[in-house]
Amino acid sequence: MTNFSRRTVLAMTGAALATPSLLRAQSGGTVKIGAMLPLSGPASIEGHQVLKGVEFAIKQANAAGGVFGKPVELAIEDDEANSTRGVTAVRKLIESENVPFIVGTYPTAVVVAANKVSKEYGVPMLSGGSTGAAGTEANTPGDPWFFRCWPDSNGQGHDTAMAIVNTFGAKKVAIIHDSSNYGTTLAAQVTRIVSDAGGEIVSNDSFNVGEADFSTMLTRIRTLKPDAVYIGGWAGDGATIVRQAAGVGLRTQFVGSGSMVSDDFIKLAGPASEGFAVATLYEPSTPNEKGKAFGEAFEAEYGHSAGTLNALGYDSTSIGIEALRRAGESDGRKVQEVLNNGMADFPIAMGPAGTTADYNEIGSVDFKNFIAVIKDGKRTLSGA
Amino acid sequence: MDLFLQYLANGVVVGSSYVLVAVGLTLIFGILHVVNFAHGEFYMLGGYAGITASTAFGLPLPASLAVVAAVSCLLGLGAEALLHRGLKNQDQTSSIIASFGLAVALQNAVMVTMGPQPELMHTELAYKAIELGPVFLPAPRALIPPAMLIIVGALFAALRWTWTGRSLRAMAQHETVARLCGVKVRRVAVITFMLGATLAGVAGFMMSAVYMVHPLVGNMIVLKAFIVVIIGGMGSPLGAAAAGLLLGVIESMTSAYLTNGLRDVVGFLLVIAVLLFRPQGLFGRSLERS
Repeated sequence: MTNFSRRTVLAMTGAALATPSLLRAQSGGTVKIGAMLPLSGPASIEGHQVLKGVEFAIKQANAAGGVFGKPVELAIEDDEANSTRGVTAVRKLIESENVPFIVGTYPTAVVVAANKVSKEYGVPMLSGGSTGAAGTEANTPGDPWFFRCWPDSNGQGHDTAMAIVNTFGAKKVAIIHDSSNYGTTLAAQVTRIVSDAGGEIVSNDSFNVGEADFSTMLTRIRTLKPDAVYIGGWAGDGATIVRQAAGVGLRTQFVGSGSMVSDDFIKLAGPASEGFAVATLYEPSTPNEKGKAFGEAFEAEYGHSAGTLNALGYDSTSIGIEALRRAGESDGRKVQEVLNNGMADFPIAMGPAGTTADYNEIGSVDFKNFIAVIKDGKRTLSGA
Repeated sequence: MDLFLQYLANGVVVGSSYVLVAVGLTLIFGILHVVNFAHGEFYMLGGYAGITASTAFGLPLPASLAVVAAVSCLLGLGAEALLHRGLKNQDQTSSIIASFGLAVALQNAVMVTMGPQPELMHTELAYKAIELGPVFLPAPRALIPPAMLIIVGALFAALRWTWTGRSLRAMAQHETVARLCGVKVRRVAVITFMLGATLAGVAGFMMSAVYMVHPLVGNMIVLKAFIVVIIGGMGSPLGAAAAGLLLGVIESMTSAYLTNGLRDVVGFLLVIAVLLFRPQGLFGRSLERS
């Protein structure tokens, strides 16, 4: 027995368990699909928003007759934004619910851990909000098992930096970022792109996540008279900075990282958020037809407008369901083949008009982020 | 020079909030010898209690303040039962670990009931500001140093001139002798915890109009409070008051003239230096045991 690696034993156990149940699933009254999201723990707000999009996609698919003439049923697991729980959740979804694909999950670290397992079982995963480049970089080029139908955080940083230079015409840029991996990476990228484009970085400050007081730092930045200030970090800190900047009289173009796209950010930053710019994948006022239709249907159903997290849950799930339909049977390996090569004609709600689920060889769909500017307490797409 | 005064004012505002939290922490340590890592959660819950009272129930500020004080007293009562009464006959590490546990439990309880998103108290004051020569401060910030002076002043007066204050100080000096002199040890312990929790809670409430409150906000606050307490001398309320202001100003100057990234580093470097070269703290008296 000692000759078997843990991985082999797992794979064999999985195969042994999955084979009989796969046959059973075919004869059941519904077609099951899987979702794994952080429904409790630190990312639970985001997880629940993604879940709304997932459920809405299933509702639409069932209204259109389901898959293989049967209604689609969702098997959902909570990963608590924790890698260990994520791996268990994937196993449970595959072994006892035998789903052909899994929509999940939000934290990229959990995606990387869970996707290793799901790949061994031959079940593809579609991102439930994970945007970190590590998620798709872990894929074997040409044979991805993790699919993300929007650009990674590098793309977001790139588009934001270009907007600082081009859209806002800034020459002198101040950078503020938190000391986490997220903030540091984005700040380094924005610094590089802005410098390459001929802009001048007048200051670069870091702060610890959750730091309360920025007034002194912002007073100093005010004396440098920057044309734009870039903030890389989480929404709460970004809102604090924008508010305190107004308090010290630093009035300039603020541009934030993607985490500051939420309505909570506007609520927390209050009137100080006016004019703030942020990169976004989706807005209900999108010029994208599919996105517009989704936004209207979603608002009619839930009574509030759809956000990015709703849209990406919806896109990942509808792509998965369509791939399942095209695969012809509830088999993870066949679904992965269709996702990899056969979805380039399928329109999605996010991104500019005409964006489709045309995954590249590492399972990412790269399109240009919108730049939204907050006007009268609402994000409006610039140039759209 | 104008900017220097502005940086100084910013430092005093931030330092004042450190003072309020650290004074309570050092009281609890000085009198009961309990190292309370859940002290940051007293601050956090004070903020939430105030926001809930003023925003959700629409109470005026003085009534909200009373709610905060009441919630903090209850919290102090519970914390005393757990960290002091329940564990005082055991090794000191037991109560340290228990206070960590209490901190995590309170954080998660708030996470579940209030959610992880940050909250902010909205007041009319936010749109007013005070200008003193070259120094410009929004009203909620400008109010913090005078409020700190009043609260800490009242505390020192109470410690100095009331019987309760005397019994607190007696306990701090020697528990057995205090007991022999008729000090009700149990009552003193409860009062100390209530006082410490109320000071932190009121600080949390005042700061919630300036800084955001979220379930994990206590982590950083308690670390700052420990820096202040160590620099000022463990158990010395006056030392904590001076060291709190000092830390606020040093942080502000670091952020102004060096870089913001070094801000939190400086405080900890200072702590290491103090522990190495003056372990009784800048304002503490060294005690030689005979």
